[in-house]
Amino acid sequence: MTTYSSADVSNRDLRALRDRVAVAGVGWTQFARASGRTTTSMAVEAITAALADAGLERSDVDGLATHHVRDSAALHEVTPALGIDDLAWFDEEFGGGSRAAVIVGHAATAVAAGLADCVVVYRSLNGRTGTRMGASGGERTLLSSDLQFSQPYGLLAAAASYAIGARMHMIRYGTTVDQLGAVAVTQRANAVENERALMRTPITLEDHRSSRMIADPFRLLDCCLETDVACAIVLTTVERARDLRQPVVTLKGWASAIGPGDLDHPGGDLTRSTSSLIAPRLYAMAGLGPEDVDVAELYDAFSFAVLLHLEDYGFCAKGEAGPFVASGAIARTGSLPVNTHGGFLSEGYAHGLNHVCEAVSQLRGQAGTRQVEGAEIALATAMPGYPTGASGAVLLGRS
Amino acid sequence: MSEPLRPTPDPESAPFWAATRRHMLTVQRCDDCGTWRFPPRPVCPRCGSAAATWTPTTGLGTLLSWTVIHHVTHPAFAAQAPYPVLLVQLDEQDDVVMYGNLRPADAQLRPGMRLRASFEDVDDELTLVQWTPAADDGPPDR
Repeated sequence: MTTYSSADVSNRDLRALRDRVAVAGVGWTQFARASGRTTTSMAVEAITAALADAGLERSDVDGLATHHVRDSAALHEVTPALGIDDLAWFDEEFGGGSRAAVIVGHAATAVAAGLADCVVVYRSLNGRTGTRMGASGGERTLLSSDLQFSQPYGLLAAAASYAIGARMHMIRYGTTVDQLGAVAVTQRANAVENERALMRTPITLEDHRSSRMIADPFRLLDCCLETDVACAIVLTTVERARDLRQPVVTLKGWASAIGPGDLDHPGGDLTRSTSSLIAPRLYAMAGLGPEDVDVAELYDAFSFAVLLHLEDYGFCAKGEAGPFVASGAIARTGSLPVNTHGGFLSEGYAHGLNHVCEAVSQLRGQAGTRQVEGAEIALATAMPGYPTGASGAVLLGRS
Repeated sequence: MSEPLRPTPDPESAPFWAATRRHMLTVQRCDDCGTWRFPPRPVCPRCGSAAATWTPTTGLGTLLSWTVIHHVTHPAFAAQAPYPVLLVQLDEQDDVVMYGNLRPADAQLRPGMRLRASFEDVDDELTLVQWTPAADDGPPDR
């Protein structure tokens, strides 16, 4: 029953929110296969690093936001661990990859409204040694009564859900295995230039083709890296950020939506996602269009998710993302550099927030040998919308 | 054979699972506007009516897409791997889609192929709807 007509926002003017909030700091722990640590410990390390990057103290923090799938450092643990005894604003969302960019938007709204002055957004997970996304059968990582209609058939891991979407794209538009491979190969080339990345050995299309099958058409190299890691970003007002340590990166726009879940798509069409609902609102708020985006950090739990984003955020027409990625357009030297840190496929899977961190690094001009020259506008997106239908995105700009 | 991964029926979905025990594929249908809806929802997404009846379907559908799962993440499926999971569009309405497995599991798959619901009595408590290649005249005009 759902249709893909984005809500009419022509009567709303969100331009007043544009360039009001800055990302003043970014921080990471090591991307690890086995952290041997608690998620609270990792969260505090990433938050501390992000505050140091900004030139702020723990005592400056008056807001915290995170998301989790019952696998992570809770706000009531992290707040006292930071020595904060009065947290004025918080947001703790249940949800996985759909939520990272969403909570950044919520935090930005709080800062813009004056509810908080310095909000840290973090995500901490032992994604490999703790809760593994598919291994539980999804019971713990997803709250949905609809699971009773997928789990008994062995449809458990997100890879399998996205594989069904990928095959539909192949059926309808002729998308090929090598075009999926082009995403993996391109992102690996970026990770070679990223000292944080877990996977830094270059790969070829043949490596992709011959990697072991996970959920056909996805092979191992189509799938992100389960990772133990925490990331954090610090949001504050643009005015305050100007007095801090780093070049000022502002939020141009943020938007989110809950669209159709995997069994609710019009006509069962999984080749269009919630991203197509978000894009018009996001661009309208920012006063920008896809042609203005210099760097795109696109949620890549699986190679195919990148194709969905490229189409739904308007970088190419529906059905044309396969040839687009195979053309080299998404390479660091292409017309739209994508996942310049290697993405979840090669840097590691911090559940979305590492995309925002990389966007900030690129806009500051601090991305070292993987720097995209002259990057002024960056897009960072959340999981494109299924199985749950929820997603979000942010547009960031160099001030 | 390890223990199957059982669905957890709730008050909303219990009639669906009860019907599968009788080898019937039923879907909620709005009593007021006739719209079919699956998975179960408390009210009709089109007209908002809470009045609905679990209604037998033709049990016929079309294959929209599928995956073949090689990497098993739950012991219940270890013996079956690699196994296909299908996304089937029911003839009743183009947005009524459901997942299922292929029976026989090694049947040839092709996009748009016609499928018929079959009923697999897993044990004395659980019957799953599965899908078998069907030779018929194709989906109805919509």
